[in-house]
Amino acid sequence: MNELKEISQHVVEVARSAGADDVVAEAIVTEVKQVRFSNSQVDAVNSWSEEHLALLVAIGKKVISSDIRTLTDLDPHARALVSLAKKVPPSKTYEGVAPGRFKYRRNPVDGMIVKLRDPSRFVHEAIAGAEGFGANNVGGTFYAIHERVGLASSGGAVGADESTAADLSVRAFSQPEASGHAVCCTPTLTGMEAKKTGERAGEFASHARDPVMGEQGKFDLIVDPLFLGSFIQSTSSMLSAMRVEISNSMYAKKIGKRVASDEVTFIDDPTIRSTTRRAFDHEGVPTRRNVLIKDGILKTYLHNTGTAKRFKTKTTANAGPLIPSAYGSAAQPMAFHPVVVPGDWNKDELIADTKRGLYINNTWYTRYQNYSTGEFSTIPRDAILRVENGEIVGAVKNIRISDNMMNFWKSIDALSRKAQDIYWWEEAAPPSTLPTVRAKQMTITRSA
Amino acid sequence: MIDEDLAEYMLDAASKHTPVLAEVRLESTRCTQLALKAGQVDTIASSQDAGMNVKIFFASGVGFSSSNVVSKAEGLRLVRQAVSQAKSARRKSPCTLSAEKAVRTSWEVRQKKSLADVTTEEKLDYLRSLDSAALKTGVKVQGRYYDLKDWETTRFFGNSEGSRIKSFIPRMKVESYNLVSAKGETEQSMREWGGSGGWELKDEWNLLEVLPDEMRMLKKQIEHGKRVKPGKYDLVCGSEVTGIAAHESCGHPMEGDRIQGREMSQAGRSFISEDMIGQRLGSKYATVIDDPGIPGSYGYYAYDEEGVKARPRYLYKEGLINEFLHNRETGSKMGLVSNGSSRAESYLREPIVRMGNTFVAPGDFEEDELFGTVKDGVLMNSFTEWNIDDKRYNQKYVSREAYFIKDGELAGPARKCTIEITTPAFWSAIDAVTKKVRFDAAECGKGDPGQGMSVFTGGPMLRLRGVSLR
Repeated sequence: MNELKEISQHVVEVARSAGADDVVAEAIVTEVKQVRFSNSQVDAVNSWSEEHLALLVAIGKKVISSDIRTLTDLDPHARALVSLAKKVPPSKTYEGVAPGRFKYRRNPVDGMIVKLRDPSRFVHEAIAGAEGFGANNVGGTFYAIHERVGLASSGGAVGADESTAADLSVRAFSQPEASGHAVCCTPTLTGMEAKKTGERAGEFASHARDPVMGEQGKFDLIVDPLFLGSFIQSTSSMLSAMRVEISNSMYAKKIGKRVASDEVTFIDDPTIRSTTRRAFDHEGVPTRRNVLIKDGILKTYLHNTGTAKRFKTKTTANAGPLIPSAYGSAAQPMAFHPVVVPGDWNKDELIADTKRGLYINNTWYTRYQNYSTGEFSTIPRDAILRVENGEIVGAVKNIRISDNMMNFWKSIDALSRKAQDIYWWEEAAPPSTLPTVRAKQMTITRSA
Repeated sequence: MIDEDLAEYMLDAASKHTPVLAEVRLESTRCTQLALKAGQVDTIASSQDAGMNVKIFFASGVGFSSSNVVSKAEGLRLVRQAVSQAKSARRKSPCTLSAEKAVRTSWEVRQKKSLADVTTEEKLDYLRSLDSAALKTGVKVQGRYYDLKDWETTRFFGNSEGSRIKSFIPRMKVESYNLVSAKGETEQSMREWGGSGGWELKDEWNLLEVLPDEMRMLKKQIEHGKRVKPGKYDLVCGSEVTGIAAHESCGHPMEGDRIQGREMSQAGRSFISEDMIGQRLGSKYATVIDDPGIPGSYGYYAYDEEGVKARPRYLYKEGLINEFLHNRETGSKMGLVSNGSSRAESYLREPIVRMGNTFVAPGDFEEDELFGTVKDGVLMNSFTEWNIDDKRYNQKYVSREAYFIKDGELAGPARKCTIEITTPAFWSAIDAVTKKVRFDAAECGKGDPGQGMSVFTGGPMLRLRGVSLR
């Protein structure tokens, strides 16, 4: 880790010597092992190793970033980027890098994940768990991830961080149209409950047997943490100040206003023990617990140094990666580990208290007509269980939720006291800690 | 650039383990990304990437190992790791591959004006001109974000059967996000243009006219658009809507790996099963083709990631389920050969079954002939919200641009017209198809981790009779 920190420090010095005013260098080494399985057997065992340096340099307001895909012989790359920066036009909205020498928390790392050689055993345990509940076809993915980071900036930040994650996703089928899905996300291998995860998926698949066509209309929805994880993805993204700046968010001009029911408190907390715990953001600012929505009232957007200055506030230490993605700037503010604060219900009480509703295991394809207003639809998948007069009375299929995302958050009237760490594919992302929630009177549609 | 001797070294090392098949890929990519936010330079980024992978097939399992460190020592490590991983899989049913002939060739996409020769300033000027054109319309465009990405990839593929393929492909794309407001309401537009080729691609896209037209259209939708009274109507789909339907409700459910369950816990399964080849799914006008070989297309490739020559695949043919998309593994499971559908986002990821350019085949109607017999209908030119379930059976499209059709004539704008329909119902309702095919660029998502893949979607205009709209 210190080696990566030293590499970053050295690159900052080289870039500064070449004429850069501001520099942020982040050396990253990632090792991933993956097992993909379907039809109750392993399809492929994959692994990938990446080492690279994300580098941002600025001369005045002339800013450029680069993903340098090596960690050896970096000096010429750093000098070349500074030369390039001299030629690019200025970015009037550039506000510099975060100043300060910071102290960082040290994150524990699980040596068992780092050394894991044969991850297939977790897959076989998960398959057996699901089959024990009657599943006849089980698929999914197991990941073991080890990431090391060293960061330095011309503002004074110098730090190193390391994380481990084990992520298991299990989808079990009991019939071609009856399935259940469960995940286990843990920073330690001892926290990997593969068999139990398979059992949960299998149990959902068992409840989902013999589904009938769902009805259109208004229903109270009790949604599993996995389902909520999909909504968290777009919701947390819209809390980024960058999305607000381009009117690409239903949260624009809503600070201090009600954006959810008073039952909802939404936090970004990369300081808790999780697979996405991190000591600093991509500018080197120590991460912290940020309350974004408190008792339904919007308190702050997610900020980096630049957006914070433009919004006349302080960074929330949520600067994202220095390399841009589609519709995303370099260091675009992003949530690292969303948390919806649990309530005081248990799952059985939620069901018992629901007169006409649906219990939904999972969803995907949440798409918006207009991010600034929040109209969307999403397609529930896996177990969709009909609740009548406080009891589960059967399974349904082929429905869609067509409503408004702000309305969803405002309609939440009950949250479970138990929360779960969630991450699945790219739908329920970023990794988050979420309860089961109930949203009243949401609109269900289906194919005519 | 690419060290072919290193690939030979890795293949030799892999062959000593006597696998059913060993594959090695080496890759190098130069990339530039620029973004303009509300008229201001927001992002300038560049990168030069290189890396390699090894894929090993034993009867008992498959191992894939990749790295962005390019050296003999790393190559040997990847081979050993992939072999070990393949052996650890312990499959119950053996892994088999279709027999394909070895190919030694090279292919490339030529550029009239090389993307690497265009300066950052020139590219930014282009984005600025788009922003300026949108502003000059006089329409209130409160959300403006444009990004441009260009990348050139050189690849070398070799396998233990003797295939050796070199390739070079440059690609460029522009994405726009706009939010137009009028009368206190807003409409959103998120669009993409892409292709394989050089800087000349932007001339074909003609965005200096297309984007301002889009702003004016959205304003009209807000100011004059009326909601569709729920009921049965004839629907004319513009090529953008035709294309998304072809991709989502034909291309995806016809992927061999999805049908065989390999994507079951991510992108899902398919309502189509292996024994449904030859069954009727749509009207005789429903022919959907996936053809990676369209020159200049965003999804272009000449040979796939397993060294199989690309060719047009007739997925739905005159309404019948005709041919699935296959790689060597999925083809073999059905006793078939691959039809060249293996693609990977980069050397870091395992190649899987993907689409190239998916479109509805042209018919014999002129565009203005489609409306004549429509008494009460809607023309849906483009879409905003859309989605489809994971078995690819229930789909929904909400219009971005739509117009009422009354007694064979186009009437005023129809706002947020929505169709929610099953896949067989969509393809069975078609009774007329126009001659002219248009394409749109898109990023197709699939795989775990997700691999964004460059594709074209497209087709002619379609007329669907008596579908439910709201």
